[in-house]
Amino acid sequence: MKHILIVDDAATVRMYHRTILEGAGYLVDVAINGVEALEKALNKPYDLYLVDVNMPILDGYSFIRELRSHADIAQAPAVMVSTEAKPSDQDKAFEVGANLYIIKPARPEYLLNYVRLLLGESRT
Amino acid sequence: MAFITQNISSENAPSVRKPAELIAQLSDADALSRRWAARDLLLHPEAASALVAQLQAEQEVSVREVILTTLTRLGGSVAVAGLVDCLRSEDAHLRNEAIQAMKALPLEVAPIMGALLMDNDPDVRIMAVNILESLRHPQVEEWLLAVIDNDPEVNVCGTAVDLLGEVGSVASRDPLLRLKARFLDEPYIQFAADLALKRLGKA
Amino acid sequence: MAKISISEDDFQKFQEYFYRKTGIQFDTSKRYFVDKRLVERIEATGNENFRSYFAMLRFQASGAELQLLVNSMTINETYFFREEYQFHCLVNSILPEIVARKKDREPIRIWVIPSSSGEEAYSIAMCLLERWPDIQRWDVEIISSDIDTKILKQAQAGLYSARSVKNVPRNFLNKYFSNSARGYQLNDDMRSAVEFTRINLMDPTETRAYRNFDVVFCRNLLIYFDDLSRKQAAETFYDVLCPGGFICLGHSESMSRISSLYKIRKFPEAIVYQKPGDWK
Repeated sequence: MKHILIVDDAATVRMYHRTILEGAGYLVDVAINGVEALEKALNKPYDLYLVDVNMPILDGYSFIRELRSHADIAQAPAVMVSTEAKPSDQDKAFEVGANLYIIKPARPEYLLNYVRLLLGESRT
Repeated sequence: MAFITQNISSENAPSVRKPAELIAQLSDADALSRRWAARDLLLHPEAASALVAQLQAEQEVSVREVILTTLTRLGGSVAVAGLVDCLRSEDAHLRNEAIQAMKALPLEVAPIMGALLMDNDPDVRIMAVNILESLRHPQVEEWLLAVIDNDPEVNVCGTAVDLLGEVGSVASRDPLLRLKARFLDEPYIQFAADLALKRLGKA
Repeated sequence: MAKISISEDDFQKFQEYFYRKTGIQFDTSKRYFVDKRLVERIEATGNENFRSYFAMLRFQASGAELQLLVNSMTINETYFFREEYQFHCLVNSILPEIVARKKDREPIRIWVIPSSSGEEAYSIAMCLLERWPDIQRWDVEIISSDIDTKILKQAQAGLYSARSVKNVPRNFLNKYFSNSARGYQLNDDMRSAVEFTRINLMDPTETRAYRNFDVVFCRNLLIYFDDLSRKQAAETFYDVLCPGGFICLGHSESMSRISSLYKIRKFPEAIVYQKPGDWK
């Protein structure tokens, strides 16, 4: 069973994404910012990271950059989830190593399709 | 080899300096000097504008963090005006640290919260709502309800509803129901509003 | 007064708030533990229910109740070899890295704060003597500090109860303590292995003298601070440490609620934090 880490400082957003992902059979952990996410990832590498941009202590861009610099855990796909929609934000996301950049709020079916795609799973 | 003791003495410490000297050191070439200057300015409220100026120029995160701590400790309207400017920065880390700092300054933030929540930029409005997350001020729920009743942007409302899950009282019930009706097609809003409604409990 | 009870929604609200503030996650298996303490705090603060208590907690200007709540939800006991895995980390992972990269023969400096009654600093001294082979080749300076002069005197005196030494291996107990009617007395050599000093961590005029430390142990202190004071402490430790120096926090503490200044280092025994930069 694939393990996903939700990284977001908003409790309701974490719960929302958790409900969607657990409903589809994934195992889910949470972190409220990039530092906590790194600590959890170093303890147990996840199969996919769902990453908010704006968080206290360490933001989403910085987290993904750090993730990519730790050889043991660098490989997993990271989906950046953001309220911001400027092209420069997208560029920045790919620059730091995100695989995908989606705008909040994500509809459940779109989120699941992207997650399955990145995890190499078939659509149903 | 063994355990040794060498008495910690303040002789080894850098000496205490006057404010004018400290302010000059804020832009020293050496990061350690800048950090110490920012730290020692804790005792000098008149230094707020110098600290704000350096904050906007400072590239070294370890210095920036100390400037932010000192500004937050000093408080006052000059500090908060500087922090508000940081909300518009291109640097996500700086924006978020400014939000954190402002959360600790309820008295200075309260008079400007109304304006921030009406800013033209929805990202600034989202950040303003985020500041309410830990703000210790009696008006927090009132501000959040004004957002969910009036803001056109789904993400601004979404951020506010998340907080109402924690601080919402019975006064939130009708505004939450109106929000649900306004954003019928948004699953996140329905989810978040339902959660907040559930948590309102008995009157 | 009606009996106060904590509903499922109350618990969830509390849990999210506490997790955000401290990083500690209480799951439903901890209901009994949490509910009991919440009810105690609700009653102690003169509230009638969770709702009014939580509003007070959330909006109180001083933040004092949050500190009391954290206090009640965490275990505050001190004893020898508490959270011992970090001492294993020190000896097996941290110190070897320090000595491999050290460019001089200056002593290795370790700061333990708060000292409380000294158990932690003395435990470290014992671990170094008994479990670190390189103790023969290096001078080590252990300084341990507290804001409370009374507890510092107690630490210097080195007299402990049976409860305090319950985790001390038998051979250490025999070697470093003498047992009397008054309790377990640490021997003079061990007592002089640690320098105890008074300090207020929040006062930069006092902390400025603390520089060039290789390792800081600050366990189960910051969790009781408010957000800004924790941040300030992390920034103070940053300059207390030499570049590449390490800091260990308590078992349920994390830099995630405090600062991004430090590099996260995962060793087999523990996660610790490292100040960036080249070794001296």
